[in-house]
Order: sequence, then C-alpha cells, then structure tokens
Amino acid sequence: MIQRGNIVAITARQVRTIGALTLGAALVGTLAACSAPAAETSSSFTLWDPYPDRDGDSTWAKAVDACATDLDITIERTASNTGDTVKDLTTASSNLPDVALVDNPKVSTLADAGILTTAKDNGLDVSNIEPNILSAGEIDGQVYGVPAGANTLGLYYNPTVLAAAGVDIASVTDYASLTAALEKVVASGAKGITFSAVGTEEGTFQFLPWFWGAGADLTALDSSEAQSALTLWTDWVKNGLAPNSVISNTQGTSWDEFLTGEYAFAENGSWFKSAADEAGYESIQIPGIDGGAAPAPTGGEFLTIPVQKDTARYATSIKIVECLSGGDTAATALGYVAPTADGQAAQLAADPSLEFWINAVGDAKPRTADNLGVKYSVISEQLYTAIQNALSGAATPADALTEAQTAAAEKLK
Amino acid sequence: MKNRRSPVKTIVGVVLTAIMLFPLYWMVNVSLTKPSDLRKDPPNLFPFDPNFDGYARVLSEQLPYLGTSLIVGLGTVILTVALAAPAAFALAKLQPRGGTVLNFVLLTAQMIPGIIMAMGFYLIFNNWGMLDTIPGLILADSTLAVPFGVLIFTAFMTGIPDELISAAKIDGAGAWRTFRSIVLPVSRNSVVTVSLFAFLWAWSDFIFASTLNRGGDLQPITMGIYRYIGNNTQDWNAIMATAVVASVPAAVLLVLAQRYVAAGVTAGAVKD
Amino acid sequence: MSASRTVERSARGTGEAASKDVASPARRKPYSTRLKPQLVAWAFIAPVVIYLAVFYAYPLFRNLDLSFRDYTLRSFIDGTAPFVWFDNYIEVLGSSTFMPALINTAVFTVVSIVFQFSIGLALAVFFFKNFPLGNTLRALFLVPWLLPLLVSASIWAWMLNSESGVINAVIEAFGGTQVNWLTSPQWAIVSVLIANIWIGIPFNLVILYSGLQNIPGEVYEAASLDGAGAWQTFWKITFPLLRPVSAITILLGLVYTLKVFDIIWIMTKGGPGNSSTTFAIWSYRLGFGGGSPDLSPAAAVGNLLILLAFAFGLIYIRAQRREARS
Repeated sequence: MIQRGNIVAITARQVRTIGALTLGAALVGTLAACSAPAAETSSSFTLWDPYPDRDGDSTWAKAVDACATDLDITIERTASNTGDTVKDLTTASSNLPDVALVDNPKVSTLADAGILTTAKDNGLDVSNIEPNILSAGEIDGQVYGVPAGANTLGLYYNPTVLAAAGVDIASVTDYASLTAALEKVVASGAKGITFSAVGTEEGTFQFLPWFWGAGADLTALDSSEAQSALTLWTDWVKNGLAPNSVISNTQGTSWDEFLTGEYAFAENGSWFKSAADEAGYESIQIPGIDGGAAPAPTGGEFLTIPVQKDTARYATSIKIVECLSGGDTAATALGYVAPTADGQAAQLAADPSLEFWINAVGDAKPRTADNLGVKYSVISEQLYTAIQNALSGAATPADALTEAQTAAAEKLK
Repeated sequence: MKNRRSPVKTIVGVVLTAIMLFPLYWMVNVSLTKPSDLRKDPPNLFPFDPNFDGYARVLSEQLPYLGTSLIVGLGTVILTVALAAPAAFALAKLQPRGGTVLNFVLLTAQMIPGIIMAMGFYLIFNNWGMLDTIPGLILADSTLAVPFGVLIFTAFMTGIPDELISAAKIDGAGAWRTFRSIVLPVSRNSVVTVSLFAFLWAWSDFIFASTLNRGGDLQPITMGIYRYIGNNTQDWNAIMATAVVASVPAAVLLVLAQRYVAAGVTAGAVKD
Repeated sequence: MSASRTVERSARGTGEAASKDVASPARRKPYSTRLKPQLVAWAFIAPVVIYLAVFYAYPLFRNLDLSFRDYTLRSFIDGTAPFVWFDNYIEVLGSSTFMPALINTAVFTVVSIVFQFSIGLALAVFFFKNFPLGNTLRALFLVPWLLPLLVSASIWAWMLNSESGVINAVIEAFGGTQVNWLTSPQWAIVSVLIANIWIGIPFNLVILYSGLQNIPGEVYEAASLDGAGAWQTFWKITFPLLRPVSAITILLGLVYTLKVFDIIWIMTKGGPGNSSTTFAIWSYRLGFGGGSPDLSPAAAVGNLLILLAFAFGLIYIRAQRREARS
C-alpha cells in the first residue's frame, strides 16, 4: 500500500507541476503571441466608419488616404455595420477612436453619454457648413460634429410603367392624386409603390416625409395629422397599392423590388441616384398632403471627435474632419450631397443632373431638429413600432399612434 | 429482406435530404440571380440567366477571411479538446470532490447569452491587449464549446471499463500516463465529435468576432460577409456567394468525417 | 422477463459487467477519501475551473452589476452608476412587453424542442439501419450547421417573403392565398419557429444517432426473439434506453433555444410589434437595438433569461437523481 501511495504521491506532484507549467505556459504563450498594442505615436490616427462595403480600393478609402497624406499622418480605418455604432463606441469607451462617423440621429445619444467632444472643446470650425445639415449635430447650442455629407428621400418613378398605365407624373401633386395614380397603375396590371416600413430607424426615416407632409409633429404622435399620414400607408397596403413586404423591407430591399421594373413608384434616397439613372428612372419630391413638397428628413453620417485622454490629439483630429468635410471628394465618394456651399457648387459643376438632389437636401429637415436631441430616438422607436402595428393589422392607426404617444411620453418623463 | 428494402430507403432518404437542403439550393439560386430579378414576384426557380459577379467578388476578396476562419476553427478545436478532455477524465474516473457541482456549473455556464459574454470579454481582452488578435478570438470561441465538450467527454469516458484503468494502475502508470496512453486513444470518436462541434460553432460565430475582432487585419468569414452590407445597400449576390464558397470545403470535411462521429460517442450516458 | 434482464445487463456495458461482480481484494472505496488522488483529480480539472472563473463568472458578475445599478451610456465614460437594487427588475416585470415576451419565449422554446427532438429522433431511427448512401446523406444533413446564422436567417427571410418568396409562390401555384409569413402578427412566430427548427435538427440528429448506436445489438435480438414488432421495440426498448441521451439533448436544446437571437432578429426583429419578441430579443432591443440604450433593464432581462434556463437545469438534475435512485 505504501508503495502504491508513493507512486500516487510522485504522480500527484508531477501532475501538479505539469499542470501548473502547462497553464503558465499557455497563458504566457497566449499573451506573447498576441500582437503588442500599436504604439500610440502622434502621427497615427484611428477612424471608425460604418461603410464595410467600401474597401481599400473604394473612392471613400482613397479620400481618407488623401487627407492622411495631406496632413502627413497615417489614418487607420475600421469599418463595421452601422447598426452597431453605438454598441461599439460604448464598449470601447476606454480607447475611443480619434474620428468616428456616426449616423446623424445617433449623434445626440452619444453626445449625451459624454463620448463626444464639442466644437468648443476641440476647436473645430463649422462656419462653412450648411445650417440645415449641421443642426442634427447641435444639441443645447453645442455642436458635436460635422456632416460628412447629407442625403434625403425622394419619390422615384418608372416612366415606362406610368406611361403604360396612362398616368401623367405632373398630376401627382398631393396624397389624393398620388393614391389615384397608384390605383390606375394597379388597374393596368403593374404594382403601385414600394417603400420601407421596417421596425428600425429606417422605417421612421421613410415615414417622416409623409408625417411632416401631413403637418404632424414628432412631439404629438397621436394628432389627427399623424393619423392621416399613417392611414395613407395602411390604406395603400390594405388595398393592394403597396406590397405587404414593406413591413419587413429595408431601403435596399425596397430598391431591389423597384429594380424588377414591376413598380411605378419607390420612395428612396439620393444614394440610389446613379442606379436610377442607369435604369432610366426619374424622381420628384415627395408631395405633401395638400400639395407642395413635403419636408424630407436629412440622413448621412456626422464626423465626430470622441473624447481622448491625450487632448493634444484634437488639433490633428479637427484637421482630418475639416479635410473630409471640405470640398466634395469625400461626399461624392459616399454618394452624398456635400455639406458646404462650395462643395455643392463643385458637385453641381461636375454633374449638373445632381441639381434635383442638391435642392432636395436644401429643403430637407434634420430629424433631431426643434431641439429634440436625445428624445428623438425614444420617439422614433415608438413611431416605427406604431407603424408596424398598424400596417400588420395588429392595431388601427389611431390606436397604434395613441399607444406610441403614451409610451414615448412615459419614457421621456 | 434487407436488400429489397434498401432502394426504397435510399429514395426516401434522398427525398428527405433534398427537402432539408432546399434552402441551400435557394442560396445558390440567389447567388446567381441578376440584381433586377432578386425580388421578382414570383421568383425564378432556377437561375436561367446566371450572374457570376457575386462569385467574382468573393473569390477575389474573401479568401483571406476563409483562411482566418479556418485557423480560428482549428485553434478552437485544439484548445477545446486540450481543456475539456483532461477535465472530463477526472470527472469520469477520478471522482473528485465537488464533481457534481462542477457538472452543474458547466451546464449553467452555457446559459449565458452571447452578448453578455462578449461585452465581458471586451473588458478582459482590452486589459490583456488581446483585442483584434487571432489567439483572442480562439479563446473567445472556445467558450462556446468547452462546457459542451466536457459533457460529451465525461459521458463517454464514464463508459470506459474501469478494468482498463485499473490494469494500467497495476502496471504502475500514473493518472496522466493513463489518460494519455489508455483513455485518449479509446476516446477517438468522442474527440472527433467534440472537434466537429467546436469547429462548427467557431466557424459560424459572429457575436465574438464582431465585438472582439472588429479592426484586426485577419477577420473571420462572418465579418467578411459584412463587406457586402453597406449602410443603405446590400449586395445579395456576393453575400450568398460567400456562403456557398464557405460551405463547400466544410461540407466535404463533414462527409469525410461522419463515420467517426457516429459510433459510441455517448457511451456511458446510458449508465448514468 | 428475459428481455428486461438483457436490457439491464447490456446497460451496464459489454461483458465487463460480469467481472465487476467479483469483489476486488483490498478496498471497497479505493480513492474517494484520500487527499493525494483528490489533488491529482483537481490538477486535471484546474485549467477548466480557472477558465470558467475568468470567462464565465466575470461576464456574469458584470451583468449582475449592470442590472442592479442604473447604467447609462455616460456611466461607461465617467464610471458613475448608482445602485438601484431591484428597480430595474420591477420595471422589466411591470413592462407591457413582459407578458408577450414571456409567452413568446415559452412557445418558441417548447415548440422548437418538441419538433427538433422528434424530427431528429425520427431521422436518427431512419438512418440507423444502414442503407446505400445512408452515411453520405446523414452527413449532408449536417450542412445547414455550417452556415453562419446571418446567411441561414437571411435565406429563410428570403424564402418567406410575402411577395417574392418561393414558399408563397408554391402556395399560390396550388391555388392558395398569399401568407404574410414575416409581417403578420400571427405568422411571424411560426416563421421564426420553422427556421429555428430547421437549424436545430442536425444537432439532435447527431446526438440521438450516437445514442442509438450505443444500444447493444443483443437487446434488439432478444426483443425480436420475444416476438416484439418494430413499433413495440421502439417504444418499449429503444426509447427508454435512450432516455439519458434524450434528457441531455432536450436540456441542451432548451438552454440553446432560450439564447436564440440572430435568427429572430434578422428575420423579423421581434416584430411586427411584439409578436415574435422573446426575452433574448427584448434584452437586445432594450440595450442596443432600440431607440435609447437602456443597458440596465437589458441586463435585467438577460438575467431573467439565465434564471429561466437555470430553473430548467435544476429540473433536469432532479429528474436525473430520481432516475438514478430508481
């Protein structure tokens, strides 16, 4: 038995040593194998953007590189999904990038969290930026960033389908005439209109021109104006003038539907302009309830400068931002309208057909306007939930909107 | 009797497999559909006018991502087996005090949703400087498989006859020697099974890759697909083509490895 | 009854069962109380324990911390987050989304498990007796597992699209009316269930097939000698013998299904409204998926999810103990 005991004793000790050594080696090996964190030299800056589809060869990447060369620094670009921006910046709160491109309705959320610096803090000069595009980044009088460019929504139409249905585009001037045109189109065997009513910010974005065009206001979701706007959509879907898939369509999917050539109208953004030109589609501004053009929301990302431990970096970061927002290279690369008057003039000179969209952006309104700021995201979530409930038949437009207003008011207390 | 039944079974088998794999066929169909037909109503059942742009993009852009996924997958397999097999041996044969508690903890460990784990890992990896690294991702992905691996190995090793172990001890082998020379070789099938699960779970992981390896030079295929998802547009041809290209080698691997996955993996579970 | 005796003997492992009955000479409880063997055992286990502590306990602890405080995004910057104890849980339990989410989670989990398990079992039995191409086909059944969830979920969303989906095209070709799979409150949960069941079948198939493989052939021989038919053999012999494997398969399936997020999020985002929102979706929506990041309530919902899974774990342990005692 003693002999047994000794063998076991030796073995136990050996095993323990082996175990400890292995564990230690594994830990050390893992730590050593990983690359050392990049030395923070003063000439290497990080930029996060939500354009993973624009790789190293894209015009956007080249615009960033050009700015880096101009400033004699290196810019390390990381691209990830736009839906993850808030999560990514929050998780990385201990080592934020030098420049971050943020979708404009999220700017106030991040500003409120103290993740972004103001123009006063970092010395950014915003005097050249068009005011209606800049205001999405203004909260309580402070400016938190500068738009990389702006886009907005319009009503694309397919002239072939309209011609076959005998509809004259000039007759589409308000809600009633648009609905009438849709009925004629459907009667001729084609499909009416496609848009995106998905249960995310995109859905609210697409709904806003109709919402504002009916005279409704984001602080009162249950007003009768809001109801008429939502009823417009629900009636379209109910009467077969718009497909049921709008409830789950993203703007990209809606565009794919429009590309089949079966639809007469598509509500979509200025970023599809070149695709539309190629396919022979044209555009008009979204009509208001009683005529005129409805105010459309501005979209596009803001160049922001997150908080850094080393405040000396701001001096270069603002130069990066100024380089990317000035002129028209970056904006054109992203398919946006430039944020400065000079940039827009340059874009117009290069491509006169952009006039429609430049004017549309000039008429557009930011979502966080009227000092809604952080409240916008809360209201938007309730609004797209109401749209989903109404379009899917789970509630009437009136009930859905009343519920939305109550919930929004409750959360904003 | 068996011979007369087999063709029927084969036909039924093929039909069932075809039904199960229909979505994969659809994936190939979408990858070849031209953009203006993507949302056609009704859709084309067969891509009559195939568009190979998606594949062209994938083959020129995604191969590094596939390579990274392969490395991460294999790394996860090695780490999982290295951690799980010894622990399972102890639980199955060495009767440690607190073994049942450990079993329960391992079960509970699998209940934590991925996003919670990912956020916790971010903080840990940030402190260790392991963000955006391959070893870091391997470590994170192994958490998907280790508890399950211990479970499977324990179940199997419990079924190894005690006599085999005793014989080794009589011959003077210590626990480690026994483990290495007797238990592991006999457990070959469960090693293959655990490896399979670990590889597949690491291969399709997204949440850890997206939280912990956003900026690395080498990213796995689940992040590679996001190159085709812009902030307003998606390139479905390329997305589906990526999925097809990513599935083919792994499918071949599966067919080749299936004979080992089969036998005796849960021996001993019956004994419990 | 000779059949059940055979079952018992086989259940204790092949042949070696006989030698076990011979009492080993010196001790009856060789190792359990000696210290050194315990240290040996724990040396084997130590890496996993440390691993568990660092990689599971820490995130769990952080999540608990998140749920007992009032975390805003700002807290991540300046570190201030006051303790609010159970306020977040009260808010979550009283929210109008709680009941729908609970019901959806229950329905989603139970229906998924029932179908995944039964289809997996049926397929395992089908593939059990080998036939030409059987092995290859069985391996092909595992291919859906290879796909990243983004792709599987997207493909199902594609196929179930109201207008351009192939499933509706087939239904309409047979004279039916279009079903709004992803966009109607009634069908949304069915759609995500279909996709989730499809994704879960391979897992069940592999484990149950191995379980079947492990039942010794003599059992079946004895049964057929006794004159049992195929159905009887299955229900009276195969199924009971599979019980431990089935139990662990169902439990794991439950734990994994409770966590399911990607499939539902990509297909319906939990919508329309709340009709396909489960706890996992709700937690994400509260955290980063919705309008404003309410991280503390999100963590609270996450913990409720873990609690639910934990409860099932306890039920499993109880059932296992009862089984062992009998």
